[in-house]
Amino acid sequence: MRDYPLNNRCAFPHPDASGAGASINLAPVKDGFVFHVLGDAKSDEAALRQALAKVAPELGDDVRKSSPGQWFWVGSIAVSDVRLAEIQAALTDTFALVDQTHGRLRMVLSGPSSRTVLAKGTMVDLSTDLFAIGQSAMSQIGHIGAMITRVEDDSFELIVLRSFAGSLWDELQHMAAEFLTG
Amino acid sequence: MSSLVKCPHCGLRPKEEFTVRGEVATPRPDAGAEEAVWFDHVYLRDNPRGEHREYWHHSGGCRRWLVLSRNTLTHETSEVVDASTLKTGGAA
Repeated sequence: MRDYPLNNRCAFPHPDASGAGASINLAPVKDGFVFHVLGDAKSDEAALRQALAKVAPELGDDVRKSSPGQWFWVGSIAVSDVRLAEIQAALTDTFALVDQTHGRLRMVLSGPSSRTVLAKGTMVDLSTDLFAIGQSAMSQIGHIGAMITRVEDDSFELIVLRSFAGSLWDELQHMAAEFLTG
Repeated sequence: MSSLVKCPHCGLRPKEEFTVRGEVATPRPDAGAEEAVWFDHVYLRDNPRGEHREYWHHSGGCRRWLVLSRNTLTHETSEVVDASTLKTGGAA
């Protein structure tokens, strides 16, 4: 449960500092939620999706596996404390939720050069045939831990701890510099 | 050291994502065992030439503890399993 109301501020100093019309674009995802979902050793993703569809169909079932029995559940709608408590109560027997909306943020790196830029920092093979749309990998970009999810053809969403988000943002700007116009 | 490790959960990853914890120690002695036995268990480590079993933590990925068989001579890693399987296999 949240002890304080969320004051959703952008963590980035220059949130619009990506190249307009360039082959690369970096943008923060400002709204929505990130919940860490923890299951027991026997829990599986199909059961989780089924439970979420039943308990909170309005929030979608965009779950990204981070580890055995652990997922990040993300969505674009803001979730109130009351609603979160309701969902948690309905899932009690099977899954535990930890609100990470304040602690982890999302950003989207997109454009035809996004794969090349990410490849400078991570060793996960992002080629189209190996890393399908919707697939996630918990890895590192440089020395910063981040979860990489392919959301569209040339579009990757990154989930990173808030305290590292500014550094990662700056690093990505450097990595993308060769593709930025002006 | 081998630069790629095949994590059973994440697939091939670079060794930079892992933290090495050291050899998989012998089973814990009984509480009443002799001091020399305890000393051996706590402080003395083998430094084998050849196959070695080590705990590796995938700190930059799934954050699971793994048990990895590594040849200290060739740096080849043969078998990588989740550490929790040791317990279920009765070989803790």
